[in-house]
Amino acid sequence: MPEVILVFASNADAMIATKALKDAGVAAKMIPKPPGVNSQANLCLTIDGASESQATSALTGSGVALGGVVKAGVSA
Amino acid sequence: MKLSLRTRLLGAIVGAVVLIFLSSLIAARTVLARDLYELGSTEVASQASAFGGYVTARKDQIRLLVAQEAGSETVRGALQSHDLARLRGELSQTAGTSGLSFLTVTDVNGRVIARARSSAGGALANDPLVSRALSGETVNTVALLSPSLLQGEGLALQVGHQGRGLALVAAAPISDEQLRTIGVIYGGVLLNHEYDLVDQATRAIGGASAVLDGDTVVSSSIQAPDGTRVVDVAVPDADAVIRSGQPYVGADSEGGTLYLARIDAILDDQNHVVGATWYGVPMTQITDITKHTTQTLVLWGLLAMILVLALAIPIVQALSKTLVEQSRKVREAAKELGVLIVGSEVSGDHVAATRQAVERSGALIDQVSKKPDAPAEIGELKNLNAEVESDVTVIETLATEMSNRMQQAVDRVAELNDVAAGLNEIVTGESGS
Repeated sequence: MPEVILVFASNADAMIATKALKDAGVAAKMIPKPPGVNSQANLCLTIDGASESQATSALTGSGVALGGVVKAGVSA
Repeated sequence: MKLSLRTRLLGAIVGAVVLIFLSSLIAARTVLARDLYELGSTEVASQASAFGGYVTARKDQIRLLVAQEAGSETVRGALQSHDLARLRGELSQTAGTSGLSFLTVTDVNGRVIARARSSAGGALANDPLVSRALSGETVNTVALLSPSLLQGEGLALQVGHQGRGLALVAAAPISDEQLRTIGVIYGGVLLNHEYDLVDQATRAIGGASAVLDGDTVVSSSIQAPDGTRVVDVAVPDADAVIRSGQPYVGADSEGGTLYLARIDAILDDQNHVVGATWYGVPMTQITDITKHTTQTLVLWGLLAMILVLALAIPIVQALSKTLVEQSRKVREAAKELGVLIVGSEVSGDHVAATRQAVERSGALIDQVSKKPDAPAEIGELKNLNAEVESDVTVIETLATEMSNRMQQAVDRVAELNDVAAGLNEIVTGESGS
């Protein structure tokens, strides 16, 4: 599955999301915001596309607001 | 269901006020009801005594009338001359003007010579009062008159089914010039269905009055709901009074009205119980005061509660507002510190991952330096280099972010200290340091 990028409203949300996904067993990597992605935060997370639904559930359960999901290679 | 602090505080204040108010109300009502009952009992005893005084005064009046008639020249002369017409005329006039039910003259043997309201003859020698008068004694008492005596006086209809009658009576000897007894004059007022006495007493002292033969009301000013007099009915509490001679004070329902009543035995001149007097005041006179006082207390209690709430609500509101504000500060500080802690962990993880990428990159550089023609390793090395560059950018961003948040955390900790001091002041009233 291609990777997807999770976008957040702030760097703090990106950090909390990283921790939440780690606790939920979802592998996520913190990356700089790619060019073309529209967000206030400088940091994003990249995960395997197969884990997208698990990741969004984990973020919802942790109360982290997801700013958007960008498929790799697609501009947000 | 969880209640807010504001609701609980106001509930506690209202609960305390209601509890104090209710316990005060119950205590006041109980004490008031008891004291009023005792006061009412004293008042009823006093008025009952006054009613007894009316009975005694009427009895004394009859004694005076009979004694005057016994000494009257007209009566003596008519008796000596056996002028029955004159004697009847005198007796009839005296009885009529004085309100006597009967007035009778006997000769020295107790044989009836003349009656004020009847022409019947007969003998009264066996009547104990006449007998005592014949022996020279002036008798004045309350007595139970036999059916035969009432029949002779034409009073049988007045007593009705009762048969006998309760009367205030007097008997006095009639003497000649030598003071020898030549006869007896015997008169009185039959109390059965005779209402002057009870009405006069009621007008003067209020309440309601009654005269009882045994436990039966023979005359009363007690009114039934339909406006008629309560008469010829039994008063159960009177039975014990008649048997023991001891007064009764307490509640008694007559004619559909509950009274605080006193029943006293009527004694004849030989100290035998011959009847009873009943005096009562409607219990509503007492309970209405208690009810009115209770209503007044309830009204004042409600006013007090409104005042307490008017004072308490702004205080509780201010307290709640302060606590909500402090709570918000604590929550924000906790969130900030939470981000810092999470950020530290995430940063550590990221640095560790970058370190692994760098180490892998170093290993690949070794391999390429020993074997320059290794396109796969060179490709991987390029990818790793790009990843490390990205990681370094992330680390720089995280470092900046964490630095800013560390400064904010310091400010938040100072805020938490202020919150703690504020809470301490709310609880203890002392400024925290």
